[in-house]
Amino acid sequence: MVKPATILKTMPVLAVLAGLGATFALAGPIEDRQAGMKQVGKAMGAFAGIAKGEAPYDAAVVKTNADAMLAGMKQAFANFTPGSEKGPPETYAKPEIWSDPEGVKAAEDTALKAVEAMAATTDEAGFKTALAGLGEGCKGCHTKYRRPKD
Amino acid sequence: MFWFLSAPRPLGPDAIPQHQADLANGALMFNIGGCLNCHRPDPANASADAGLPSGGAPLKTPIGTLFPPNLTPDPETGIGKWSELDFVNALERGLSPSGDHAIPAFPYTSYALMRTEDVLDIRAFLMSLTPVRAEDKPDDIPLPFFLRRGVGLWNYLGLSTAKWQPDPRETASWNRGAYLVNGPGHCAQCHTPRTLFMTLDETRAFAGGPHPEGDGNVPSLRGLIERGRYKDAKDLVSAMQFGETFGYDKLSSGGMGAVQTNLSKLPEADVQAIAEYLVSLK
Repeated sequence: MVKPATILKTMPVLAVLAGLGATFALAGPIEDRQAGMKQVGKAMGAFAGIAKGEAPYDAAVVKTNADAMLAGMKQAFANFTPGSEKGPPETYAKPEIWSDPEGVKAAEDTALKAVEAMAATTDEAGFKTALAGLGEGCKGCHTKYRRPKD
Repeated sequence: MFWFLSAPRPLGPDAIPQHQADLANGALMFNIGGCLNCHRPDPANASADAGLPSGGAPLKTPIGTLFPPNLTPDPETGIGKWSELDFVNALERGLSPSGDHAIPAFPYTSYALMRTEDVLDIRAFLMSLTPVRAEDKPDDIPLPFFLRRGVGLWNYLGLSTAKWQPDPRETASWNRGAYLVNGPGHCAQCHTPRTLFMTLDETRAFAGGPHPEGDGNVPSLRGLIERGRYKDAKDLVSAMQFGETFGYDKLSSGGMGAVQTNLSKLPEADVQAIAEYLVSLK
């Protein structure tokens, strides 16, 4: 007999697990990290639209996208697992990701902090500052650890 | 015969025009030239100012690892004692003051197209920097002395000594863009594929090609709009100015990240000129 209190305690955990299950339901680590990055890119597109003046600044939209970006980024970072250096599907991940774990960790932490800073913004000025940091965060990994693609 | 043909062919004093140095233009040319990206300080030297081109960081090339030299005006280890003519011969002919051939990883075949006034402005800008003492490190290339001399022969094929000529049918800003891309920007060095002789294949100008550091491909710059890479010239301007900040993530990889940082420092009119020229490449 499980006590109702225990059920109440485990329910949020179960909900989180169910959510993770939904995002992790793809075929393998390469697909999963690419799906995560796609989610990051989509959120970045929303930020870029605001920065370029194509969409109005809206704190709630920024928060939603920053949260989605954080989740996508974490999913991506968790999937550069040993054995997933090469595809298929085609991956642009450079071998340095696996040979320079300390450098990767530092670059990832910088990017994650930049997203957290974006999620914490409440006005347009803060958004713009956070966006510059976010750009640098993305670039920090892409310059070193991703192969060019046409 | 080889010795005669491979001899350095430096410019003489009459190649130096009367010119009042313009430091701001020198800084602009230094940025579009991306000088710092190769001549950056050795990362092993944590105390070095990363913003000064004191050289020594390893540069991987197909023929070995180079250590680009110190460009700060230190008289012993940098360019402090170089005359204007020494500097012009280095940039426009790939020759050191003692007459040695530079390895063409140094893009003098593009800089040769530059107005000599712009080259002199780069020199004036470099001379205004804080001198840094940083000893030259010998390049790690398995190339014997006589083959290095062979660069002199290669120069007959790979080095055009004619200056960039504007196209009178095009706008002033298109011509400015063409000059920045082909001269100081030396974009062709990576974006134009090479022939069997390692010279730029002008018949396939800016068509993309294998990455010089051997990792993946360098994208083509032709048909950027037609192939859907950018919406229009304005979109390309945004990408060059803001890069990842505006979600343009492709301009980061393969060494382009540092280039985009340089482009973001240019006056907006110059970035627009570059975009106008690039989108005209079909």
